[in-house]
Amino acid sequence: MTGAAAAVRREAVAGSPKISFAGVEKTYATRGGANGGTLALDRFDLDIAPAEVLSIVGPTGCGKSTALNILAGFEPPSSGGVRVDGRVVTAPGPDRGVVFQQAALFPWLTALDNVVLGVKCRGEARELYEPKALRLLEEVGLKGFERHYPYQLSGGMQQRVQIARALVNEPDILLMDEPFGALDYQTRLLMQKLLLRLWEHFRPTILFVTHDVGEAIFISDRVIAMTRRPGRVKCELRVTSPKPRDYDFLSSTEFKALERELVLAVQSEVDDYA
Amino acid sequence: MSDAKVNPPSQPPSGERRREAPDVVYSVLAVATLLALWVVASRPGMFRPGYVPTPESLGTTFLELLRDGYQGQPLRQHIQISLFRTLTGFLLGVLVGVPVGLLTGYSRRAGAMISPIMAFIRPIPPIAFIPMTVLYFGLGEVGKIVLIFFVSFNYVQANAQAGAANFPIAYRRAAQSIGLTKAQTFFRIILPGALPQIFTGLKVALALSWAVVVAAELVGAQSGLGFMISDAALLFRLPVVFIGIVLIGAIGLVLNLTLNFAEAKIVHWKGR
Ligand SMILES: Nc1ncnc2c1ncn2[C@@H]1O[C@H](COP(=O)(O)OP(=O)(O)OP(=O)(O)O)[C@@H](O)[C@H]1O
Ligand SMILES: [Mg+2]
Repeated sequence: MTGAAAAVRREAVAGSPKISFAGVEKTYATRGGANGGTLALDRFDLDIAPAEVLSIVGPTGCGKSTALNILAGFEPPSSGGVRVDGRVVTAPGPDRGVVFQQAALFPWLTALDNVVLGVKCRGEARELYEPKALRLLEEVGLKGFERHYPYQLSGGMQQRVQIARALVNEPDILLMDEPFGALDYQTRLLMQKLLLRLWEHFRPTILFVTHDVGEAIFISDRVIAMTRRPGRVKCELRVTSPKPRDYDFLSSTEFKALERELVLAVQSEVDDYA
Repeated sequence: MSDAKVNPPSQPPSGERRREAPDVVYSVLAVATLLALWVVASRPGMFRPGYVPTPESLGTTFLELLRDGYQGQPLRQHIQISLFRTLTGFLLGVLVGVPVGLLTGYSRRAGAMISPIMAFIRPIPPIAFIPMTVLYFGLGEVGKIVLIFFVSFNYVQANAQAGAANFPIAYRRAAQSIGLTKAQTFFRIILPGALPQIFTGLKVALALSWAVVVAAELVGAQSGLGFMISDAALLFRLPVVFIGIVLIGAIGLVLNLTLNFAEAKIVHWKGR
């Protein structure tokens, strides 16, 4: 299909999804190629609307990272495909900013240089990208730390730099794989609020993978729980309370009800296994 | 001031403090003991006359070497020529070894081509090639520099390859997702990412280059510190031999410290 045809189709279908997983399967080859490999995802279907915040929870090893990595373009699907704006994903790109769980900043670059590396390499003028990067670093709460190296920053600060590095490319989509998983409880809550504030400002579509059911509910419009491996969508919940939300949402009846439902959904997958 | 009240634990009881002698005291004691043993061993009657030179004879010989040189060449020149051979060969090895190693680490195919060859060559002791270089290149500078280049290349290439190959996948993915091209990834991510490992290779390569230069000068040279100690040993000028060995050790130490210093400056993030 030509680009023009794709664009016409996109215009035509009002309310079409931003991201669409259709029948995605992923089999990882096992070392030595014995017993046909590991089936990580099995006919995984999921549509995500523009500017929607969607979280995936599920038991460990169920294929959450696999789904995110296929959307990011890091891994090819074994069959089926992922579309972004109707176009099949084939490679990584700056239109999909990625925030990794840990230590994905380049340790030989300062916070600022980490943020600007991509735009700089694309040949953008320094007068353009540097003020933008500085403003972003300020927005994620790192004013005064622009010239610090990653090893001079706390874990939470490093994740803020990663978020700024993804946002500087003005991506439509933000992919986050347990980005706050290594942080302490207080910092994690702080980062969740920061993420909601940034979402209000930039309105990206966010795919967020986490083990923390409360975190998923707090930030998301929709949460899906996956079955154990091979992963498929088991159930999905909508969070109706409007964003941005504050800490008092954590003690609301809606939050509590959703939390109980999700915990049971995930736990039943783990229990069956034992 | 109420300092004494606020900070009583910062002043440990004197008995406890006396037990905590600083490490440097032990270092000085060990060196002093060794020197004392040497003085005793060099006394007449301890060993065959002339076999263990006295501290005084080393001092006077050193002054003579500084004034008159050795075998018609100033001492400075023997040091310079050894350093020239080492550093030229070493730097050539680095200039070729780093790019080749990064490439063979980055590209699986290039790695598959070079790995079996290097795996066979690397365990061969470099001094085994000395007769061959003399045969092909004679006793001049070229043979020695080729030999040192070879030594340096071996270790620099191996470490650069390991640095580029054992690369956190998160770096590679982060580079892709911010839109770097292959060339940009190579120069801006793979190269700096491999620097810590490259420096490990540089340190081994330089130490070994220095050692092999001395070995090469022992057998086929008319100048250099290796020549000086082997020639002096044949003439039974033991103080010269001892001074040569001390110089070789001191220069090796300085080379190593220089690289350590450069490493701490350049690879400031290493181990953090
Ligand atoms: N590169 C790989 N090679 C082989 N198998 C893999 C690879 N990556 C993942 N797998 C397997 O695929 C399955 C899904 O892995 P995935 O990382 O997607 O799980 P996850 O849901 O993200 O788990 P966690 O919550 O622990 O991060 C697992 O059984 C895992 O062993
Ligand atoms: Mg995962």
